[in-house]
Amino acid sequence: MSQSPGRPPAWSYWVALPSFVLVWAVVAWALNSPLLPTPLNVLDTLMQESASGELWHHLGATLGRVVVAFILAMLLGTAIGVVMGRSRTTNALFDPMLVLLLNLPALVTIILMYVWFGLVEVAAVMAVVINKVPNVAVTVREGARSLDYRLEEMATVYDFTRWQRFREVWVPQLFPYLMAATRGGLALIWKIVLVVELLGRSSGVGFQLHMAFQVFDVAAILAYSLAFIAVVQLIELAILQPLERRSSRWRQPEAAHA
Amino acid sequence: MLELRIAGRSFGQPVLGEVFATIERGDRICLLGPSGIGKTTLLNAIAGLDKTIPAEAIRGREALRVGYLFQEHRLLPWRTLSANLQLVGATPQEAEAHLASVGLKGYGHYLPDQLSLGMARRAALARCLAVKPDLLLLDEPFASLDPVMAGELKTLIAGILDTNPGMAMICVTHDGGDAEILANRLWYLDGKPARLQWDDRVGEPGLIDSLLGRLRQLDPADS
Repeated sequence: MSQSPGRPPAWSYWVALPSFVLVWAVVAWALNSPLLPTPLNVLDTLMQESASGELWHHLGATLGRVVVAFILAMLLGTAIGVVMGRSRTTNALFDPMLVLLLNLPALVTIILMYVWFGLVEVAAVMAVVINKVPNVAVTVREGARSLDYRLEEMATVYDFTRWQRFREVWVPQLFPYLMAATRGGLALIWKIVLVVELLGRSSGVGFQLHMAFQVFDVAAILAYSLAFIAVVQLIELAILQPLERRSSRWRQPEAAHA
Repeated sequence: MLELRIAGRSFGQPVLGEVFATIERGDRICLLGPSGIGKTTLLNAIAGLDKTIPAEAIRGREALRVGYLFQEHRLLPWRTLSANLQLVGATPQEAEAHLASVGLKGYGHYLPDQLSLGMARRAALARCLAVKPDLLLLDEPFASLDPVMAGELKTLIAGILDTNPGMAMICVTHDGGDAEILANRLWYLDGKPARLQWDDRVGEPGLIDSLLGRLRQLDPADS
């Protein structure tokens, strides 16, 4: 197969999804069953939920948990990753724990948190954080191990403060790893938060999916899923991609001519 | 100004032996010796980068501002030249002035990786100057530059030393010719483990020639 250089034609992005919706519409129309609503039914449900405020209430609850859990997991995971990446002894001390946590199913953490701390918000967020921290730590540890010792020496000779060393020397080098942890992290956290809500909260997209499942309301399930996907994409386009572009600008500069 | 009492340094096997020396203001030392003998190891020790060497072995280091021109530029690639200089304490105006003094006038907004090797090394030299150093450490500053660029940089460094008579310099090189232009004191590092075989002040005319002559005899391959 030969790959033509440059960008693919603009229309190529607009084939798969419309075709999918079309096939869905035709099949749903032919089956005429409440178990497979048409795209229009789903859109209708979405509008109703949106107009009643239900959608925003539950999306907001989910988003809030995601944001809090994400921030906590990134802070904790980055700190642990940097320390483990910089010190062999610390790494040896905590590596077995990390392996254990990495292999602990999310469901187990969630159940244990609810059993031990009750069906409360703190337990829900803690469960998500505990699931996410090991992934962040492992990714950031990789970055911390690959920090350039030559820049470390430079920072030492020129008496960089701790903050300067962190901000100017470490963060730019860790940035690709932090971005990887962020992307992987958000994807994971979104999914875990839904399970957490399904198992023990009375708000959020997970809770709504649970309710819709009880009554086999497929239109509601699909409507909430769509809203959810839209929010995730919005965050990707509005926050993650600009951030990545901004911070990797120095990587491919044009040469100067003396 | 700086008193070295280094007991030695091993990397598996001993590389550096005892190094005793005193560095005074205005000393322009060229550190000569065969490649791989430990010249950079000694320079790193003097810079205070070697954590295995106790601080007492480099007495006076704490009080000194040191500018270190590494073999690579070691500028932060994600910061402009001006920002790199400001990070070590220069004001924006000072940063521009230091860049201009090394022939990079107007390059403040460039990123290090946009520069050629020779320009990047001069930018790194500008950063050395930005700390207003008492001691300038240069690790093979002329390596992998073409003869014209190397010559320009040599003149530039000699000029910096002339305008800052109180500044001390240690320049690692394996080219005796560099010493003729830059040095008023020669160190020759050799042996296993390596020690300062000579530490001679270059004052009277003819002495540098005789030193270089001895150097060529000792190490014909490297001069």
